[in-house]
Amino acid sequence: MEVLRAEHVSYSYQSKYQKVEAVKDVSCAFEKGKFYAIVGESGSGKSTFLSLLAGLDQPCEGTIYVEGEPLSGMDRDAYRLNRAAVVYQAFHLFPLLTAQENVMLPLECKKKRKKEAGRQAQRILQRVGLESRIYRQFPKMMSGGEQQRVAIARAVAAGGEIILADEPTGNLDSGNEKNVVALLKELAHEDGYTVIVITHNRRVADETDHVFRMKDGRMEQVR
Amino acid sequence: MLLFRNSMRQLLRMRGRAILFLLLLILASGLCGIGRAFLIINHAKMEAYEDSFMTIGTVEQKADQVEERMIWDAEDKDYHIYNDSVYNAYVPLSVLDFEGADYLSGPERRCLYGSYMPEYEMYDMGMSLSEIVEGSPVEDVVPDHPVSFQVTRVLIGQGGVREGHVINFCDHYNSKPEKLYADKTYVMSLTYSPGHENQKAFEGDTPSEYIPFPVLGSTQVDAEGKKVPDEVEDDHFCDEVTEGFYDSPIGRRWLNIIATWDNLRHTFPVTGTNDINLMMAFYNGNAFISQGREFTEEEYTRGDRVCLVSEVFAQRERLAIGDELPLALQYANYRRTAGRAFATNTAAAFTLINARGEIYPVFEEGNYKIVGMYGGQSGLRDEYGLGYNEIIIPSRSVKNSDADNILESGPMAGSNTSFRIENGTIDEFMEKWSKLQIPNVEITFYDGGYSELEANINNMKYIARLLLVMGMSMVFMVLGYFSWLFILKQKERTAVERCLGFRKTHSFFSLFSGIFLLILVGSVCGSLAGSFLSGEIAGRIEKKTYYDKTFGNSMGTDAGEMTGESFAPEDPIKAAAECTLAIVAAGTVIAASGIYVNLRKEPMKLLAGRDE
Repeated sequence: MEVLRAEHVSYSYQSKYQKVEAVKDVSCAFEKGKFYAIVGESGSGKSTFLSLLAGLDQPCEGTIYVEGEPLSGMDRDAYRLNRAAVVYQAFHLFPLLTAQENVMLPLECKKKRKKEAGRQAQRILQRVGLESRIYRQFPKMMSGGEQQRVAIARAVAAGGEIILADEPTGNLDSGNEKNVVALLKELAHEDGYTVIVITHNRRVADETDHVFRMKDGRMEQVR
Repeated sequence: MLLFRNSMRQLLRMRGRAILFLLLLILASGLCGIGRAFLIINHAKMEAYEDSFMTIGTVEQKADQVEERMIWDAEDKDYHIYNDSVYNAYVPLSVLDFEGADYLSGPERRCLYGSYMPEYEMYDMGMSLSEIVEGSPVEDVVPDHPVSFQVTRVLIGQGGVREGHVINFCDHYNSKPEKLYADKTYVMSLTYSPGHENQKAFEGDTPSEYIPFPVLGSTQVDAEGKKVPDEVEDDHFCDEVTEGFYDSPIGRRWLNIIATWDNLRHTFPVTGTNDINLMMAFYNGNAFISQGREFTEEEYTRGDRVCLVSEVFAQRERLAIGDELPLALQYANYRRTAGRAFATNTAAAFTLINARGEIYPVFEEGNYKIVGMYGGQSGLRDEYGLGYNEIIIPSRSVKNSDADNILESGPMAGSNTSFRIENGTIDEFMEKWSKLQIPNVEITFYDGGYSELEANINNMKYIARLLLVMGMSMVFMVLGYFSWLFILKQKERTAVERCLGFRKTHSFFSLFSGIFLLILVGSVCGSLAGSFLSGEIAGRIEKKTYYDKTFGNSMGTDAGEMTGESFAPEDPIKAAAECTLAIVAAGTVIAASGIYVNLRKEPMKLLAGRDE
């Protein structure tokens, strides 16, 4: 089942000195329960395309459809809150909130009661393979792998069907990298998430179901 | 609630910074609070003082020269030299009407009128009169020393001399006294002189004596202050009584003098003014309205027939507010005030007959309604004070000219010429006045210590402004720095919240609510502390000032009422509220601007630090 589809999507912006065409006429589709990788060199437009998929920005041309509905016509804040979550290379956890509180935040935003949100957050943290001692720790007390798992848990807690991950293993050692990729794969294959990962890393790309390559803003499906 | 809780949770986890922010904000708000409260308190004080203090100027013309006058002294058998002030011309009041003179009460030269009211009697006339007697010397004698003089008839007197008495008489100050004959009868006005410094000169005689008291010559002057010619000389005190003497012009004049002296017990001093505060007795609090009220502006302007009377006089005559007095003005005196003329141990220094030897006719008559009574001191022989039984009326109520009834005139004097200006404008007034270069006119100002107080308050205002500016600068620096710390540096947090699906408003409140609470708490605590502290300080300063002798006696009471306690409880709260509002508003603007800067950017650009 097709969850996300991009049709002739282009995006450009004016930098300080010149107009940058970051995404050029990209068309692609992403299905439910699949694990995707978008690879490409730095500056090829991968992250920009991901932000367009997350509804953080709007394409200059073309349309992105979410289950057949144009994203441009949707409440993009609600889309990110309920359907698509973003995971970053730098984790971007709230440094002043504990692991559990970080995960609870999107739940509480959805009007879950504090206790219920807490219990659900613990379940999700357990699901991403974190020990209970981590729950009350602040991000700076955790390892990179643990932080990324918390970030993924927060994305899962959002309760959507799409996880968009920008270089999720970029700051991790090979051991943690393997674990995080395995987790994302599980989330796709076992929990039915559509997981789209941007990566430079061939090992990560190899673990995915489909691979897209971006070069100079254009995209082609490699596998 | 979630957003607020989340905001506070994160803020409190930066405990050190949050506490530092709070403390600095309390300090800065405190400075603002002190400054603002001081400004309010000082402003309120100045307003209160403006009502309590008034600035009046008195005007005095100085003599153009001094002339020596030699007067014989029978005791010393020598001349004594006395200095007389000589005025080439009297400077008119109109010199004070110059451009830029901004009067609250224009300059006035108060006149002392005499009102004959036979229905009322002076309970204490103050002015002592002399004796008019008929008699003869015991022997033919030149009275260049005390001689025996037998009184055969007392025409009017104080009770000291009776018919048949033999008194000591000496034409004391006359170097060439006329010889008196024992077989002749003389009428003369005498006054008792209770003793002399050098009694040896009168060896064997009693030290006391009666001396001439010339009253027959009129002191009348015209409107320009020039003496109206009189055929009777000023020093005339004695005439020989012959058959039909009292039918002669000079004899009738004697009788008129006797009649005026008799009337004097029913002739009340009346002073016209345009503002009773221009009268020093009222200005310095020696006299005060004890019942009823002062004249109103309209009464002064229209010249209504209203009056203020002494409460002692009113009590004695059973007069009440609203009663009317039938004033009949007979004479006008531009030289003396009632305080000098109608006081204890004051000799009558003017005659109450005109240059024709007639009793002054009434020139203004009417019923004056009593609107107020005054209490306080009177009859102290002080030209700036009030005289016994003095009645005060609005100047403009005297409609008719007194030109033919002026019994004395003189230069402008501090006791009868004054004006009122706005507090704190003495220097400005004097600057303009000195440009006119009017010679021999001296202005003396009385402000009850206002100038010194104003200087103190201005200093406090300066300090208050300084504190306020320092406080405000500190507030802005603190708010600016912590906004940068708590908001601008939190762009990652804003971006992630936005990526998680937070709406812009949610992101705004997520950051703002915690900071707002800190700003609110900090500014309320600081402003209140500052304001109450300033109230306390102001109160102490006030108490100190109260005992400062720069305050006049009359102002002491008012100033006492205006001590710190009267300002502190109310105004500091107002000041604190204003300060808090200002700081919270500034904080809101600064914080909201910072948040807006972050929210304006797309989250990914914020995270990437990319600027379009």
